[in-house]
Amino acid sequence: MASRTLRPLLNRSRFQCLHTQTPRYLSKSTKHHSAEAPNQSTPHERTTHFGFETVAEAEKEARVAGVFSNVAESYDAMNDFMSLGIHRLWKYIFPFSPPFLTERPKECEGRSRTKANPQTRDHFVHSINPGTSLPTTSPSTEPQGWKMLDIAGGTGDIAFRLLDHATHINASPSSTITISDINPSMLSEGRKRSLSTSYAHSPRLSFLLANAENLHTVPSSSIDLYTVAFGIRNFTDKPKALREAYRVLKPGGVFACLEFSGVTNPLLDAMYKRWSFGAIPLIGQLVAGDRASYQYLVESIERFPKQEEFRDMIKEAGFHVPGKGWEDLTGGIAAIHKGIKPVEKA
Amino acid sequence: MATKRLLPLSLRLPKPSSLISRKYHTPSQPSPSPFPALETAILTSSLPHIPEHGFTPTTLRLGAHAQGYIPASQNLFPQGAFALVHFHLWRQREALKSCVVVKDAGKGVGVGRKVKELTWERLLGNREVIHRWQEALALTPLPSNLPTALQELHALSDEIWYLAGDTSVDTSWYTKRATLSTIYAATELFMTTDKSSDFKDTSQFLDRRFEDSRVLGEMVGSVGEWVGYNARAGLNVLRSRGVRI
Ligand SMILES: C[S@@+](CC[C@H](N)C(=O)[O-])C[C@H]1O[C@@H](n2cnc3c(N)ncnc32)[C@H](O)[C@@H]1O
Repeated sequence: MASRTLRPLLNRSRFQCLHTQTPRYLSKSTKHHSAEAPNQSTPHERTTHFGFETVAEAEKEARVAGVFSNVAESYDAMNDFMSLGIHRLWKYIFPFSPPFLTERPKECEGRSRTKANPQTRDHFVHSINPGTSLPTTSPSTEPQGWKMLDIAGGTGDIAFRLLDHATHINASPSSTITISDINPSMLSEGRKRSLSTSYAHSPRLSFLLANAENLHTVPSSSIDLYTVAFGIRNFTDKPKALREAYRVLKPGGVFACLEFSGVTNPLLDAMYKRWSFGAIPLIGQLVAGDRASYQYLVESIERFPKQEEFRDMIKEAGFHVPGKGWEDLTGGIAAIHKGIKPVEKA
Repeated sequence: MATKRLLPLSLRLPKPSSLISRKYHTPSQPSPSPFPALETAILTSSLPHIPEHGFTPTTLRLGAHAQGYIPASQNLFPQGAFALVHFHLWRQREALKSCVVVKDAGKGVGVGRKVKELTWERLLGNREVIHRWQEALALTPLPSNLPTALQELHALSDEIWYLAGDTSVDTSWYTKRATLSTIYAATELFMTTDKSSDFKDTSQFLDRRFEDSRVLGEMVGSVGEWVGYNARAGLNVLRSRGVRI
C-alpha cells in the first residue's frame, strides 16, 4: 500500500523525498485506471464535463468513481502533496510573509497527521460549530443533538472532526453523523479509519453508499447539518444535488460546503494554474502512479464555478445565504459556502 | 438614508462638495435594518434575551428558536454574537428619532442642550443591557468588527447633531462629531461600572465631559490645532473601544 509505506517518510522530510525516493514510486506507475473506458455515448445522451473533456453524464459517474477508486488508498499522500503545493506557492509569492501564511500545518501531531490542510478543515468545522443547543430549562430534559450528514465523506475525516467538535466543545454526546459516498472503496476506507477513533462501532456513526444526487433513503426534513468537503466539484448534476440537500435538511438546517474555488487574485490565479496543471499531476504520478486521475482532479477544480456563481446556485435551490454567501480561505484557493433552509411561515 | 451621511471618521478637512450636499439633507427618515429580513426577525426576537444571556451565540439561538429555527441556523450570522451588538446599536440610534426632546423641540432650547439631552437619552438606551455591555465592548476591537462599530459611533454622533438641529456646515463639522463620539464612548464605558441609583454618577460624568469640551472648543481655533485635536480625539475613541494604541 503506497500510502502506508509513504506516510512516515512524508512526515519526516517532505521536501526531500521527491528527489531521494522517486524511483521507488515510479515503478508503481504501471497500475492502470479504469476511467478511460471507450466512449460509447449515443448522440442524444446528455453530456457533462470530466475535467476539460466533455463526456456523457452516465460515463462521468463511472469515470469519477474510477478516479477515486484509483486514489482512495494513496489519497492522503496526494492530499499531502496538494497542500505542500499550496504552501510552497505562498512561500514563493510572499517570501517574507508572516508565519501564519507560510507555516506548515503541524500535521505530525495527533490524528490529523493523515490529512492535509488540517487548518482549513478545522476552520470549516469551527465555523459551523456543530452540536450547539438551547439552554436547558429543566435538568431532566437532555438537549437534542444534531443529526449530521457528510456527503462525499470519503475517508471520514470531516465527519470525525464534526463529531469531535460536537462532543468536546459543545458537550453534545447525542449528536450523530452519517458518512455518505458514492464510492464503496472510499467508504470502506472510512469504515477502517473509524476503528481507530473513539467512534468505532458507535451508534453515533453510520455509513451510506449513495449518489449525492439521489438520497432517497434519507427522509425529507430530517437533517440539521449537511456538509460536503472537496466533493461537490465531482458531482455530475450539481443543481440536482443541491435540491436533494435542501430536501433532506430540516427547516433552519444548514448546508455547508468546503471546496477549492476560483482564485480571486489574478496573479495568484495564474500561478496556481501553472503550478496545479503542471506539478500536481506529476506529483500524483510520482506518489500514486496515476497521472490521469490527478489530471482530472486538477481540471475539476478549474471547472468549478466561481464563488458568486456557486452562491447563486445555492440560492436557486431555495436556500437563504448568510452574509455575502461565502468565505474565502487561503487567498481564495478554497472557500466555504453556506445556505440555510428557510422555515415556511404558515 | 442615514448611510449617505456616514462620512468616515476622518482626519482630513471636509471636502467642500460634501459640505454643500449636506445643506439639502432631508429630515431624518427611518433607516432600514442593516440586516436582511430573516436575520432582522431573529435579531429582534433575540433582544429580550440579552439581559439574561448577554451578547452571546446562546442569545442568538434563543431568538432563532422564537422564529421557529433550530440551533444550526446560528450559521446565518457569520459575525456571530457581534450581530447582536450591531443590531442593538442600530435600534437605539433609530429610537432617538422618536425621542421627546426632538419632537417637543421648544424654540428656547439651544442646540447644545439638545445634544446633551439626546446623548443622555441614547445612554439610557443601554440601561437594560448595561450589565452585559462589557461583553459587547469586548467584541468590538476585533478587526472584522471594528469598522462597523466605529461607523455606528460616527453615525450616532451625526444623528444627534442632526436631530439637535445643527445645520452648520463649516470646518467645525468634523470637530463636533469627533468630540461627541469621544464623549459618548467614554461615558458609555463609565456607565458599565456605575452602581449609583438612576446612573447619577454617569450623568455627572457626562456633564463634566461636556464642560471640558466647551473649554476645549474655545481653545481649538486654528486649523493646525484642529487637526491635532481631532487626531487625539480619534485615538481616544479607539482606545475606549479597547484598541491598544
Ligand atoms: C476529494 S474526495 C473528498 C473526501 C473528503 N470529503 C475530504 O474532505 O477529504 C471526493 C469524494 O467525492 C466522492 N464523490 C464523487 N462524486 C460523488 C457523487 N455524485 N455522490 C457522492 N459522492 C461523490 C468521491 O467518491 C470521493 O470520495
